[in-house]
Amino acid sequence: MTLKYLDKYPKNLAKSLWIGKPIATVFKLFCKTVTHRSMTILYPYEKEWIPDNYRGRPGLRFDKCVACGMCVRMCPTGCIKLIEVDDDAGNRVMRPQVNVGRCAMCGYCAEYCPVDAMTVTPEYELAEYTRFDLLYGPRRLNYEGTTPGMEVHIEYSLPSDIANGNTERRVPNTIDKPELDDKKCIGCKKCAKVCPVGAVTMVEKGVNDKGKPIVRPEFDNEKCISCSNCILDCPKDALKLKEVL
Amino acid sequence: MAYSSILDWIDFFKDPMDSPYYPFDTYNLAYDIGFKLWEIVGGLIAWLINLLFPGNGLSEWLMSDYVCTIFALLLFMLLIFIVAFVSCLIVLWEERKVLGRMMDRRGTMIGMKGFLQCVADGLKTFMKENTIPKKVDKMTYMWCVSLIVGLSVLVACMVPLSSRWYVVDYQTGLLIIMAFFALAPFLILVSGWAQNNKYSLIGGMRAAELMISYEVPMLILICTTALYVGSFNIGDIVYFQNEHVWFIIPQILGFITFFFCATAEAERVPFDIAEAEAELVEGWQTEYAGMKWGLIMLGDYLRGTVSCGMVVIMYLGGWTLPFIGDGPIPEIVFLLKAYLVFFLMVLVRAASARVRTDQILNIGWKVFMPLSVINLAIVIVLKMGGVFC
Repeated sequence: MTLKYLDKYPKNLAKSLWIGKPIATVFKLFCKTVTHRSMTILYPYEKEWIPDNYRGRPGLRFDKCVACGMCVRMCPTGCIKLIEVDDDAGNRVMRPQVNVGRCAMCGYCAEYCPVDAMTVTPEYELAEYTRFDLLYGPRRLNYEGTTPGMEVHIEYSLPSDIANGNTERRVPNTIDKPELDDKKCIGCKKCAKVCPVGAVTMVEKGVNDKGKPIVRPEFDNEKCISCSNCILDCPKDALKLKEVL
Repeated sequence: MAYSSILDWIDFFKDPMDSPYYPFDTYNLAYDIGFKLWEIVGGLIAWLINLLFPGNGLSEWLMSDYVCTIFALLLFMLLIFIVAFVSCLIVLWEERKVLGRMMDRRGTMIGMKGFLQCVADGLKTFMKENTIPKKVDKMTYMWCVSLIVGLSVLVACMVPLSSRWYVVDYQTGLLIIMAFFALAPFLILVSGWAQNNKYSLIGGMRAAELMISYEVPMLILICTTALYVGSFNIGDIVYFQNEHVWFIIPQILGFITFFFCATAEAERVPFDIAEAEAELVEGWQTEYAGMKWGLIMLGDYLRGTVSCGMVVIMYLGGWTLPFIGDGPIPEIVFLLKAYLVFFLMVLVRAASARVRTDQILNIGWKVFMPLSVINLAIVIVLKMGGVFC
C-alpha cells in the first residue's frame, strides 16, 4: 500500500504529511503580531493620520475666488455650479457651490484653481439626512484650518526648462497664455467682458474701410490667470491658448 | 419562643463528610462549596421562617442532614455546570482573540478585552425567532439538537478538573467519557436526515464519514494509555504520569495523533467537514434557527474544551505539575493546560488548509492508524522493558 502511495505521489509524501512548516510560520507571525499594534483601526474612536493634501470634500476660500469657473469646467462629475451670493461688502458675486453627494473627491477643482481659492480638505465624514443637505454652498465650503498643503497643484518641469538646465517645477495651467489670431477677430469685446481679473483691455488699432475704429484685445500677462474664459466665449474662435513648452 | 440568632441556623464550619448521606467516597471541593452555600442560603431561609412562625418544623426540616444533602447536590450540579460553561466561554474568547491576532486583526472588542462578546452573542441568538421549517421531521429534528447539546454538556461536566473536582469517580472514566463523546456524530447523521435539506443531509453523511476515519486510531490510543497505566481511571492515569513521566515524552507520536483526532472529534476547522461553512451553507446546522443554533455552537465549543481536557489528561499530566504534584490549585492548572492545548488547536486552524472529504479517510486510515499502531508497539516495548513504569 505504501509503495502504491509512493507511486501515485512520488514527491509529495513528505509534503502531504508534514504540516509543521505552516504551523511554525503562523506561530512566528503570531509572535510578531502580538507585539506590534494590530492593523485594524477602531474607526469611530481612533482615526487614521491623514496628510495635508488628503482629498476629502472640496473647500473654498471665499475672498480669494475670482469666479473664473475653472472648477466648474474641470469637474468630472459636474457637481460644481456657480451661484450668485452676497460677498462681505454686499455685492452680488458668483461663487461655486458643490453637490457633495455627486462629488468624487478627485480634487481636480483644487488642482486647476488658478488663484488657489479651491482647496482640498481632510473632511470625509459627510453623511447627511437628506440629499438637499449635501449641497455645500460657497459659505459652507469654507474650511477653518486651511493650510498651504491643501492647495494641491499639478507641477512638472517644462521641456524647454530642462533643455536650459533648469529643473524648476512649474504649475503649467498658469503659464499658458491666450493668443490672438488677428484675421479672425471682429472686435466684439466679449473677451474683455468675461475676463474675471480684468486682464483684457480693448485697444484701438486704426480704422477700417468704412471709417469705423478697429478694436483688438490686448492681454496683460501679469494679471492673466489662464482661466480660458475668453477663449471659450470668443464667437469667431479667434483666441487660442498658446501652450508653453 | 425567644428570638434566635441567625448564627444558630448557619453552621458554616460543618464538615459535609460527617453527614451520613455524603454521596462521594473522597473529599469533593465542588460539593463542599455547594454544601456551604446551602448552609448560608438555607440557613437564612430557615431563620426567616423561624422568625415569622417560631417553633415550626419547616426550618428544622430545611437544615436536617437529608435535605441539606439534596440541596447541596443541586448547588453542586449548578456549580459544576457553571465552571464547565465559563471555561467553554473562555475557550471561545481565546479562539476569537488568538485567531484575530494571527490574522493581524484585533479579535472581539466588547467589554473585558472582548470576553463579553459571548454574552452579546448569546443574547442575540436568544432573541432571534425560533423558526422551524415546515417539512422537517419535527420530532427527530428537535430531539437531535437536544441530545447533541445535552450530551456535550454532560461530557463537559464529566471531565474531572482535579482529584477533588469531579462528578463521579469511575473506574472506567476515560472509556465512558469517550463513549458519550463519540455519540454525537450519530445524532448529527440523524438530524441531517431529519432536516429534509440537501446541505444538512450531506453534512450528516460527512459526519459519519469523519467518524469512521478518526474513531479507530483514537480508541487505539486510549487503549495504549490504559495499557501503560493499567487502568481506565482518570485519577490513576494522572497520578501515574505525575509519578513517572508525562506521557507526551514516551508517546510523542501518540500525542500528535491524538491531538489531531481530538480536533476531528470536536469538529474543529481542519476537520470541520460536517459543518463546512465554506461549501455546505452551515452543514448539518443549516435549518436550525435562533437559540437552537446558538446552543449547538455552545455544544461545539464545549466539545472542543473536552477534547483539550482529554489531551491534557492523557498526555500532559492532567492537573499535576512536575516536582509539585497537586499543588494548591490543581483545577486552575488543569484549565490552563487545556487552554494551552486549545491554543495549539487554534494554531493548527490558522495554519492548515481544511481537509477535503476524499482526503479524510486517507488521513484516518493511512496516517493516523499506522502512527497509533507504531505508538502502541513503542508502548508495549517500553512496558516490557520497564522504562518509565
